Amino acid sequence: MKNASSPQNFLRWFDPRYRQIGTWGFILNRVTALGLTLYLFMHLIALGQLAKGAAAYDGFIALVENPLFKLGEMLVIAAGLIHGLNGIRIALNSFGIGTRYQRVMFLGLMALAVVGIAIFGAKMFLFS
Amino acid sequence: MSEKWNITLIITRKKGDETPHTQAFPIEVDPDEYVLDGVERVWAFHDRSLTFRHACHHSTCGACGMRVNGVEKLTCITTIRSVTQNGGTLRIEPLRNFPVISDLVVDMGAMYLRLDAAHFSQVAPLPDTGLPFEDDPATEDPQFERLVDCIECGCCISACPIATTTSTYMGPAVLAAIEHRYRETSDISLLNLADGEDGVWRCHSAFECSAVCPSNVDPGWRIMNLRRKVIGHRVRRFFGIQTQEKVLR
Amino acid sequence: MDKPQAIIIGAGFTGCALAHDLALRNFAVTVVERGELTSGTSGRTHGLLHSGGRYCVNDQEAAIECIDENILLRKITKQCIEFNGGLFIALTDADEAYADTFAAGAEACHIPIERLTAAETLRLEPAVNPNVRLSFRVPDGAFDPLRLALAFAATAAKNGAKFYAYTQAENLIRDGQGNVTGVEVWDRTTGKHYSLRGDIVINATGAWAGEVAKMAGLHVAVVPTPGVMVAYNARLIQRVINRLAPPGDGDIIIPQRRMMCIGTTSFEVADIDYIPVFDDQVEWMHRSAIELVPGVQQTRERGAWMSARPLVGRAEKGRSMSRTFVAIDHKETDGIGGLVTITGGKATTCRGMAEKTADTVCKNLGLNIPCQTKEIPLESYRAFYRYSQESRP
Repeated sequence: MKNASSPQNFLRWFDPRYRQIGTWGFILNRVTALGLTLYLFMHLIALGQLAKGAAAYDGFIALVENPLFKLGEMLVIAAGLIHGLNGIRIALNSFGIGTRYQRVMFLGLMALAVVGIAIFGAKMFLFS
Repeated sequence: MSEKWNITLIITRKKGDETPHTQAFPIEVDPDEYVLDGVERVWAFHDRSLTFRHACHHSTCGACGMRVNGVEKLTCITTIRSVTQNGGTLRIEPLRNFPVISDLVVDMGAMYLRLDAAHFSQVAPLPDTGLPFEDDPATEDPQFERLVDCIECGCCISACPIATTTSTYMGPAVLAAIEHRYRETSDISLLNLADGEDGVWRCHSAFECSAVCPSNVDPGWRIMNLRRKVIGHRVRRFFGIQTQEKVLR
Repeated sequence: MDKPQAIIIGAGFTGCALAHDLALRNFAVTVVERGELTSGTSGRTHGLLHSGGRYCVNDQEAAIECIDENILLRKITKQCIEFNGGLFIALTDADEAYADTFAAGAEACHIPIERLTAAETLRLEPAVNPNVRLSFRVPDGAFDPLRLALAFAATAAKNGAKFYAYTQAENLIRDGQGNVTGVEVWDRTTGKHYSLRGDIVINATGAWAGEVAKMAGLHVAVVPTPGVMVAYNARLIQRVINRLAPPGDGDIIIPQRRMMCIGTTSFEVADIDYIPVFDDQVEWMHRSAIELVPGVQQTRERGAWMSARPLVGRAEKGRSMSRTFVAIDHKETDGIGGLVTITGGKATTCRGMAEKTADTVCKNLGLNIPCQTKEIPLESYRAFYRYSQESRP
């Protein structure tokens, strides 16, 4: 990695050492964005099964009843909540709203995300 | 010296085209001295080839920004006591996101020239110098002027994750300067300068700039405030509302 | 004819202002500085743009230089000076008794002053000691040291001057007659050693001028006189606050940015490359600051530092020495050609010092080129980074 600005330095984005909480917001947003993008592709592939007929789709649905996939779905929900709520903070800040309280907003919204994830998790694993 | 500590300075070295490496210097210091004093001691008593930027030694010139144990510090006002303990170590590295000239010296020319392009003035009328939400006890008499808070030390750019990867990004110091200048002058061309992919929209809200700023500039707040101004300007332009152009420089 | 080649050792206020002056006089100028620009004494000044009031009784020559240059600098430099004026405040009977002497001195040095009552003083600056008896308003200011020097350097660089920072002068090159013909330098950024040749070498190393002169076997009577300064993290005053008394220690508080700085002490040391900041002197400065502005008690120390000023003269020591400067042509004083030494003086008078030194340089080389620095506004200090992008030898 270089001392001067360089695209090669992108791994530093994910290095929270010596940094403040804002970097966690930054890291979470990048990780969740990558995850959600990946999910979007997988989702499109899954929908593509529809074109191959009902049997193919049913087979695919049976596959995703697997707990491993359920965990994956859980992660998608978590990523969506974290990215969405964090995005709300950034959008509000960009309109000059609450910029001075961005730390508190971040922590509050992430707490909200945790609550949301817990509710979804409970619904998915306990009551299904 | 009232109190004596033995500490080890681990300093990043680089001469010419060498790859950077570190060198350890065990030294005796007074913990109430500043980190810059420690670095200067290394130069004075251990190695005259050590290069580092410094000038005023009291946080007005902005030359001595370095990374101390990973965190950007203005070393002339950072006491040794606040960053290590007796027997401890101090890792001293050059600021990131600037090309290294030698050892701890980085080339901040690009930042200075961007600040110049924003016509950022170091001296401003007193009411324009602070942040608008500050409770500043100083008189607001417009006849007074003072040197502004931003000392152009580059700490914010070193801490910024976007500046780490994008050399064309204006960076927190420059955007903060544009915001400051715009509040002072209402010059629309400043909004146009900031309204671009390497301007306000490149910021990804890590707010590390504000976390490391040694001088109350709060670049993170200023970038967001500038975004608001840019959005307002765009909306008005969309609806054909003329903004009164003021060019005061 | 080729341009005359000048090598300046030291990029403090004098070196930078001299580079500017000589570049305008069509010299090819090279400046070598062992550290960053102004990393020696110049950068560490507390940043007082003198009105001359401080010297108007004891050193009127220096006072007149100050007020003249004060007016000039405010015209030619932008972006470096906060110009809010200053006050000389009387706190004791002795101070009050000094008032008429001060007023007469200021008048003799054409320094514009205004006498204020205690009530008027406190209305202007509510934070000064409430026991103030009277005060004088003077045209003091505060400047940013690095940026003021950079403004001179930027303009010099625009006119072709080359600045090599982190380049230490190691020896003076001399011909068979002992005349100086160049400088051997050490580029500390690469470790390379090389030589620079010039028609004239100017030793502008201030407090270190004696050491550089020694390289040519010469003696320059400069006494490095360090002083300690303390910065506080609040700005309780807008104007420079001076004690209405003969110049002493810790009798000036300068507001700068969001801070206040108090200066200074005065002592002599042998080795000036590293001078520790002594605790007792910091405490002494702190007490002095509280006496002038009691609210300092509630502020926190932001920094404490030391700067070694170059005082010139032989006879006496410390403060009693003249704050004015000397430009020595060693051809005249020692019969050694090719070397001029400039030392002493103050930041406020750096342009004037450069003018006199450049005159000396021209005389040494038998040239007659007038000074132009009084009229030409300086470039933005940031332009230094635009004009000095050249590669090193």
